[in-house]
Amino acid sequence: MPSEAALPSAATSVKSRGETTGRRMWRATYQQFEFKLGLFFLILLVGAALIYPELTNESPTRMHIMQRFWPPAFLPGGHWNHLLGTDQLGRDLFIRSLIGLQNALLISVSAVIIMFVVGAIIGLIAGYYGGIVDTILMRITDAQLAVPVIILAITILTVHRPTPESVTLVLALSGWPAYARVTRSVTLAERQREYVRGAKILGATPLRIIVQMISPNVLPPIAFVAVLDIARMMIFEAILGFIGIGVQPPTPTFGNIIADGRQYLINAWWISTMPGAFLFTTLLGINLVGSSIERARNKVLEGRI
Amino acid sequence: MASPQSATLLSIQDLTIELPQGSTSRPILSQISLDVPADGVLGILGESGSGKTTLAKAMVGWVSEPLRVTSGGVRFRDQDLMSPGVQKLVRPRIGFIGADPGNAFDPTLPVGVQIAEKLLAVSPATDMAEAKRRVVALLDAVRIPSAARRYAEFPNQYSGGMLQRAVIVDAMINDPDLLVCDNIIQPLDVTVAAQIVRLLRELRQRINAGIVFISTSVPSIAEISDEMVVMAGGRIVEGGRPMDVIRAPRHAVTQELITRTPRIWTGEAAPEPQAREAQPILQVSEITKTYHVKDRTRFFGRQSVQAVRGVSFDVFQGDNFGLVGESGCGKSTLSRLLSWVEEPDNGAILFEGRNIAEMTGRERFAMRRGFQLLLQDPYNCLPPHMPVGKTIGTALSIHGVGRRETAERVRDAMAEVGLSPDELHRLPIGMSAGQRQRVNIARALVLEPKLLILDETLSSLDPVEQGRLLNLFERLQARHGLTYLFISHDLAMVRRVCTRIAVMYLGKMVEIADTGGVFYDPGHPYTKALLSAVPTLDQRPYRTEDVLLDGEPPSPIDLPPGCSFTARCPEAIATCRLKEPSLWTRHPGRLAACHVTAPSATAA
Amino acid sequence: MAFLATFLIRRLAQGVIIVLIVSFAIFTALRLVPGDPARLILGPMASDAVVEKTAQEMGLREPIPVQYVHWLGQVVHGNLGTSFIKARNGSEVAGSRDADALGDKAPVMDLLAQTVPMTLQLAALALVFAFLISVPIGIIAGLNAGGWFDRFALYLGSAFVSIPNFWLAIVLALVVTAELQWIPSIGYQGFAYTILPAFVIAIEMSPVFMRSLSISVASAKQRNFVQLADVRGLSKRRILFRHILRNAAVPVLNIFGVQIGALLGGVLIVEYIFNYPGVGLLTVQAVLQRDFPVIQGVALLSACLFVVINILVDLVSTKIDPRLDF
Repeated sequence: MPSEAALPSAATSVKSRGETTGRRMWRATYQQFEFKLGLFFLILLVGAALIYPELTNESPTRMHIMQRFWPPAFLPGGHWNHLLGTDQLGRDLFIRSLIGLQNALLISVSAVIIMFVVGAIIGLIAGYYGGIVDTILMRITDAQLAVPVIILAITILTVHRPTPESVTLVLALSGWPAYARVTRSVTLAERQREYVRGAKILGATPLRIIVQMISPNVLPPIAFVAVLDIARMMIFEAILGFIGIGVQPPTPTFGNIIADGRQYLINAWWISTMPGAFLFTTLLGINLVGSSIERARNKVLEGRI
Repeated sequence: MASPQSATLLSIQDLTIELPQGSTSRPILSQISLDVPADGVLGILGESGSGKTTLAKAMVGWVSEPLRVTSGGVRFRDQDLMSPGVQKLVRPRIGFIGADPGNAFDPTLPVGVQIAEKLLAVSPATDMAEAKRRVVALLDAVRIPSAARRYAEFPNQYSGGMLQRAVIVDAMINDPDLLVCDNIIQPLDVTVAAQIVRLLRELRQRINAGIVFISTSVPSIAEISDEMVVMAGGRIVEGGRPMDVIRAPRHAVTQELITRTPRIWTGEAAPEPQAREAQPILQVSEITKTYHVKDRTRFFGRQSVQAVRGVSFDVFQGDNFGLVGESGCGKSTLSRLLSWVEEPDNGAILFEGRNIAEMTGRERFAMRRGFQLLLQDPYNCLPPHMPVGKTIGTALSIHGVGRRETAERVRDAMAEVGLSPDELHRLPIGMSAGQRQRVNIARALVLEPKLLILDETLSSLDPVEQGRLLNLFERLQARHGLTYLFISHDLAMVRRVCTRIAVMYLGKMVEIADTGGVFYDPGHPYTKALLSAVPTLDQRPYRTEDVLLDGEPPSPIDLPPGCSFTARCPEAIATCRLKEPSLWTRHPGRLAACHVTAPSATAA
Repeated sequence: MAFLATFLIRRLAQGVIIVLIVSFAIFTALRLVPGDPARLILGPMASDAVVEKTAQEMGLREPIPVQYVHWLGQVVHGNLGTSFIKARNGSEVAGSRDADALGDKAPVMDLLAQTVPMTLQLAALALVFAFLISVPIGIIAGLNAGGWFDRFALYLGSAFVSIPNFWLAIVLALVVTAELQWIPSIGYQGFAYTILPAFVIAIEMSPVFMRSLSISVASAKQRNFVQLADVRGLSKRRILFRHILRNAAVPVLNIFGVQIGALLGGVLIVEYIFNYPGVGLLTVQAVLQRDFPVIQGVALLSACLFVVINILVDLVSTKIDPRLDF
């Protein structure tokens, strides 16, 4: 007998005939205010990060000696040409945040792509073949999970000069086990399904089954979680920068900007706080968009739309 | 028989329940009026989609969002059942048994404890010890073996039939005045369903309650109800005493339902096997398969599950060979072995005279074009993300057929199974079960096989669609000279279509014969029991009471010596406990594995 | 009982293997880095000869697997080695010329003994805060899936997940401690100093619990037997606690096992920022200063912790849901 959740209920099947899943998902997503809010933040901030630096002649390293320690524009003493204020060297915090966001995005997106691909391949293989292959791969994954990510990161980066590449690799290294685990368990479940058995009976090779049949079903939800992970990686990258082992100054990253500002916290609190708020808003955008898409997906799968 | 003086327990008047959809509402029930007497059985007959379950739930006051009552009402003992205050008072007096016993209990708590919990909730005067005692007594009364031990077991340790009995216990534990049974026998195996119906008839004598029995099966309603009504499209279309309604149905829906009830014993003659060639297309010889699962009660132990214990049969070209059996008989394992997705531990399978185990990889790959397997579940048998045209074509591209030829053959196959060429790029998601199965068939056909194994392929389809697909199979067989092997639990379908039938029980074949022989001259007590349990309106050649089974089959882990059927067999003799019977030839072409019916000349 | 025994033995054996792999990996990674630990201890002023002699004595010139086995042998006897940097008296000494200064260094075991209880206190308080926040919100959101509370929980969860923990720490330290002077936070001079760091960690952990709990409660509520329980006459309260929550607990428990790793990571940063004297602060300092023995000791400890917690989670899960099979 089909399980409770497997079949769309009779009550909604009339409505859903004719509309494809894609359109329903779009409708379910677009309905939500969270989605629009998040999208607004993202477009605003990421858009600014990509476009504004081209348009202005301001630079993150340019020091305005006469304009040091200016507070943000909306506070007394602030000016609109330095929207978020300036730091101890007179550098404009707004442009520093934008460049920081550029770097953060670059590193995080790359890291997530790497960890997703590596984790998915390992998970697919472990899940499909099972047996000893599975056991070995999973033990390796477990072993890596047991190492506190931070320790690993700090260790590696203290040793090798932290370049954007090595930071990206460290981030990817920290994340792939989770993807491997999740992919594996979903693959295990999918492997039992009838159409896989049908393909085997036809004589399909494992490679064909994994690539043509299992992946398209298993990977999309995981890929989607990966997008949310971009936010998580951005925080992680900022933390590394904060401790001093992320991308090094003078390249601005959220981590080192905020770390720099710590000593001026009492008098010029905005140096640490404003870029942080900037980061927070960007991440909020990503997460709102992500969770609203996920809710939409659940709605569609359960037939509630 | 409900007497005119018996009080009306439940009265439904002009009940309309609707489902809001966007700006409009779709009626699920329209102006239903009926009365349930305080004793006696009311049967409600209807197809899926007729609103039966909604009505059943309304009878216990269970109308959940998004459904809404837009007119009329339900009154229990003259109190409005739709009001929450009344519901609270009245629910202890009502029992509900649903169609999904597997999901009726919390999987994390023992079954007995949950039933006792219900008893304590509705009769707070009882204490735990007393409640437990009553639950165990009732579990025993419904013939759950080792009731005391079962009390503490979890739902996943119960079989389907046992769960249904447990749900019955749960509904009855507080001596309800009204018992509503919604489609309770449909998910069960034939013999188990027959046992449950028999159980209900017995219980009816014991308890003092009005019973509502809802079903899609005409024979079971006829057997158990005093009065019946027929539902279609959310309305009641006909009613009366079962005998009257069946003899002279007035409404079209009723007539159709009755016509569709398979005639096992009367009606058309069974299909005859055709003239044989010398070489069977498929020969199965003493295959066995045992699974080893971890024994969680010991350190390093493993338990052996003997799924298939020595099966042999031959299928000849042009035959329609039917393999029947109930849950746990090993059918699914056998189907996996036949399609060589798993290898048998012993024995051999020969296709066109060649032993599959001895083929090389290449030869086996080529052989796969010769016979194909069609599976049951229409919703899972197709990759959900591939357009159906591509799915059908994959079969060919796996075997190295070029693109152009593939496209052509796909089109031809689709036309043959009755799919229009527009469907080529469609995703399975919008298609009906029948259409999906057609895609499946096209996929198998496109390789031009000689043998098709159909593993419960039609079981999930409604009778109309089944009929259409069976006609399709007939046409294809005539055109391509196919041979079919049907694996099914549906005896009625097998009776209609197959020329030879094999009956499977606990991993072995207990009888193999031509269809007429199986039905009219069964050689094994299990076959007799199976046949007697098939719901039918015809007169049966054996009395159910004589041949119907008791209890459950033994577990395939701990098989007792001798014939595995002994414990439940009404005809067991001493030899049965000692020696396992093998298949004897009773008549030419009819074999059975039974000491009792074996020709005495070859008795051990 | 037999099941329990087999389960435990099997998992512990696997756990030991994991711990060994992890510690070996860290051990090796440290020694493959450029830079000589002996030089680090003795400082840039010491002569090459002294450095070399010290290194030989410390066994730093032997092949790495041999060093590992030595270290392992010591561990089994309860000796995790001696810090390169930290002295017994609590100060940090690096770069003294005198080779004998080694003798005054603090044993790693002692360092751990001092810091672990502090971190435990912090982690416990953080978990308490996290539960206080996420459990009520998660359950109510799950029971009213689709309603306004559910959406509020979504916003809240998204907000929490987007807050960088170090930024929150800084802002809280600034506002609550410096400006408003309500709760102290930097360093440690009493239990009150645990509150803000614990709060920051709790904010980091709650969103995952909130969401997971709300999803699993909503899903449990939809199950057939839960809806049926109402019809059978069980009280709403009973249904909620005995059936819905039990069934909702298992997926959440699994998440919990995974979140422990995140908890450890968060602890590190938060302790560093608030200067809270726990294992996290110890570790960050050790890594930044290349204090091998301490790093190894901490890695060993956290690997063991990870294994134990996962075993516990699995054990409790099987108790709750008898269908599970480990």
